[in-house]
Amino acid sequence: MPKKGARTGLPEEKVVRTVCKDCHVACGVLAHVKDGKLIKVEGDPDYPLNQGIMCPKGLSIKQLVYHPDRIIYPMKRVGERGEGKFERISWDEALDTITTKLKGYIEEYGPNSIVCSVGGKPSKTMRAWYGVANSLGSPNVGWTDNPYCFGPFTIAERYTYGSFIGWEMGSDVKNTNCVIVWGGHPAYSHPTWGRLFMQARARGAKAVVVDPRFTPMASKADLWLQVRPGTDGALAMAMLNVIINEELYDKEFVDKWCIGFEELKERVQEYPPEKMAEITWLNKDDIIKAARWYGTIKPACLYQRASLEMLSNSTQTIRAVACLRALTGNIDVKGGSVFDTFPPGFIGHVYLWFPENRMPWEVEESRIGADRYPLLSGPKAPLGTPHTPSVIDAIITDKPYPIKAWFISNDILLCIPDSRRNIEALKRVDFLVVTEFFKTTTAYYADILLPAAAWIETDDIESCYTNLIACRQAAIEPVGECKDETWIMFEILNRMGATYNAFPVKTMEETYEIRLKGIGTNWKDFKKQHIIEIPIQYKKYEETGFLTPTGKVELYSETFKKHGYDPLPNYVESPYSLVSNPELAKEYPFILITCGVKIGYMHSMGRNIPWLRELAPDPDMEIHPDAASELDIKDGDWVWVEMPYGLSGRVKSRARLTRGIHPKVVQCLSHWWYPEKPGPDHGQSEVNINMITPNKPVDPIAGTPPLTGLMCKIYKAEEE
Amino acid sequence: MRKYAIIYDKDLCMGHNSCQVACKLEHNLPVGPKWIYTVTVGPQQKGGKLVLTFKNIRCMHCGNPPCIPACPEGAISQRADGIVLIDPKLCTGCKACIEACPFGAPQFNPETNLVEKCTLCAHLVDKGLKPACVRACPSGALKFGDINKLTEELAKKRVKATVPA
Repeated sequence: MPKKGARTGLPEEKVVRTVCKDCHVACGVLAHVKDGKLIKVEGDPDYPLNQGIMCPKGLSIKQLVYHPDRIIYPMKRVGERGEGKFERISWDEALDTITTKLKGYIEEYGPNSIVCSVGGKPSKTMRAWYGVANSLGSPNVGWTDNPYCFGPFTIAERYTYGSFIGWEMGSDVKNTNCVIVWGGHPAYSHPTWGRLFMQARARGAKAVVVDPRFTPMASKADLWLQVRPGTDGALAMAMLNVIINEELYDKEFVDKWCIGFEELKERVQEYPPEKMAEITWLNKDDIIKAARWYGTIKPACLYQRASLEMLSNSTQTIRAVACLRALTGNIDVKGGSVFDTFPPGFIGHVYLWFPENRMPWEVEESRIGADRYPLLSGPKAPLGTPHTPSVIDAIITDKPYPIKAWFISNDILLCIPDSRRNIEALKRVDFLVVTEFFKTTTAYYADILLPAAAWIETDDIESCYTNLIACRQAAIEPVGECKDETWIMFEILNRMGATYNAFPVKTMEETYEIRLKGIGTNWKDFKKQHIIEIPIQYKKYEETGFLTPTGKVELYSETFKKHGYDPLPNYVESPYSLVSNPELAKEYPFILITCGVKIGYMHSMGRNIPWLRELAPDPDMEIHPDAASELDIKDGDWVWVEMPYGLSGRVKSRARLTRGIHPKVVQCLSHWWYPEKPGPDHGQSEVNINMITPNKPVDPIAGTPPLTGLMCKIYKAEEE
Repeated sequence: MRKYAIIYDKDLCMGHNSCQVACKLEHNLPVGPKWIYTVTVGPQQKGGKLVLTFKNIRCMHCGNPPCIPACPEGAISQRADGIVLIDPKLCTGCKACIEACPFGAPQFNPETNLVEKCTLCAHLVDKGLKPACVRACPSGALKFGDINKLTEELAKKRVKATVPA
């Protein structure tokens, strides 16, 4: 047998060990390169996380890199905004234009008039735009999706545990005996985790899946809790009730490490399983069964995903889930939920977003949204990003202050609700810079359009997961004039005469050296070494305490109370739900969910990658056959969706009849566009569900506009 | 003598379709022809429970391949180790093998105007490597190796699952 890792390399081919970044996972990849061209990629069998497997997204990278529509040189707008008329320019002209504009805005309106909105686009876009905004003195930089994803999670967990545990590899399914998958489908969004889940099942671990849809993972579980969309918080409270009242909690851990148990005990009495069963449409016995399993089987892990962050009471729902982990003592134990362990001295990528000296207090206080959502956008907030719906308002109304320059690195029109209003913002802002791979619906509105390099064309230190850091090295040179976004950042900062706020350096390479220095290595050696993996340390809190004000897990949060929020987790029915609107529900009788994922797509990406599009050619609507037959809808029919939240218009999806969804619930897939149709619309006004989802904040803490558990009516689209 | 096989364990499959895309990458296939792919079956109501399964469709490299006699050009042959191959130099794209195959495995490629199908990645297997689909499979549902050993393992697993302890 040939040596493992040598794989299929023909003599004239070069095999580069690198790390995929087509989603947040980061799998090891062997890139086969011949004459500077990427021939193929395959999973790296020696990489601990994926052990040779790869999902369709990463496997298709070649079709992204060499896509005929890829933006491969900088461009400037020459027609009306949104008309799509661009002219090729040099990098010097692009960067000089940006620098001149920024200098002008900073002088006239102050640095806060610069906003950077980054997306999940798998490149180094986040650190690049954090660096630009923060180094120039603007606190207005963040994920566009912060109130619907990551914001509620970071708030809930920071003020419960002090740091983050409920994300991706934090759930140690590899060593668990009981696993709850809540509001996500990691088999598709995180295939390496899905693989470990199957291995745990083969070992005999119990599995519970909480999802309104009968997903492939639900089909492999012992118990599927088909929760009414939006009521996950009620389920979590009922499970807390059972675990507390049946005394299934870990008394030693609770006594020693939790604050506010008595208050929580009193609170959960308001949420008996019988009553919550009615609210959640679940069977009472199933709720009790799930709670007993999670309460008694050791160790147990609980993986919660972004669907919970898209609810009207997102933050408290995740707080309730966080309390479940704490009460059962499944915190930082093998097979439970585990905090990151990085090699001591290593500087992780998060530091580049949030260096210690990121911004003075008063600057952070002026961040958009800080007044209304201080724990999302205020000083020293865990995520510290502007509240996106408020950013859109600010651009349109000039309040609280004018926004002049907007840097975007994702397709914001598809990714956040109320796209029509977002188009208005894109048209109104004075100066719009977009970094992209393609001319997306958002990119069409750019004044300056910059070509971004993909992961396979760039170097990086990958440090997203628990105890592993790895070297991403460029397997090929960037196509055309595409550039690593961090290069763009340093070019702008250097031209502005500004200092990078994370480290006082002038190039990205220098940051690698600084980050690696503490673990006694350098970039050159690290490239050869490729992986540094250290043993996971458990119960780190025994040495350091929890990073909360009290040093303990805060079931009861004084910080929440100080801000006027409920200090204990709670459940509140969504004002947008069919239960809250019985009259409207007569006309809009269906519950809409929009959180599902397809294996080939990461957010709005992949629709123009032929091998991925072939897997899911149209936006589909999952609907129960009984509901469909009443409306004369057959499998494959186009179906219109309308919602009653003040946004006119309708969008359509293609019916896919399935018994895996409640007859009162339908799912429309989000982020849809047809890249092959002409821009700027790219067909999105017909198929992008965010055209009609409202962007009005409901969750009082994170300012989340709910994207699931909404009401809708549906009807068959007539043949055109 | 059939030596190798790709065995599919539907109980492990989660419908990622990495097999399909890995195959397209390895063999440079356009949209349309799929040498291997997975379809979702259900969910169906079975005994008061919902059941969702998957089905993998690919060339079985049969013991007695019906495609071989069906081909009017004699383009299809079976190697000594059981791998069934279509010779692109002899294939005319008449599709007779598609009709003959009980699995729908041979695929017409509109770019080459020929019928093509899974080669079991013979070019890799001959170097002692596994087929691209098996390597990529995220759930471990696809396995490659000695046909007798793999079928025996899978049969044992199935028996274990149906006979109560």
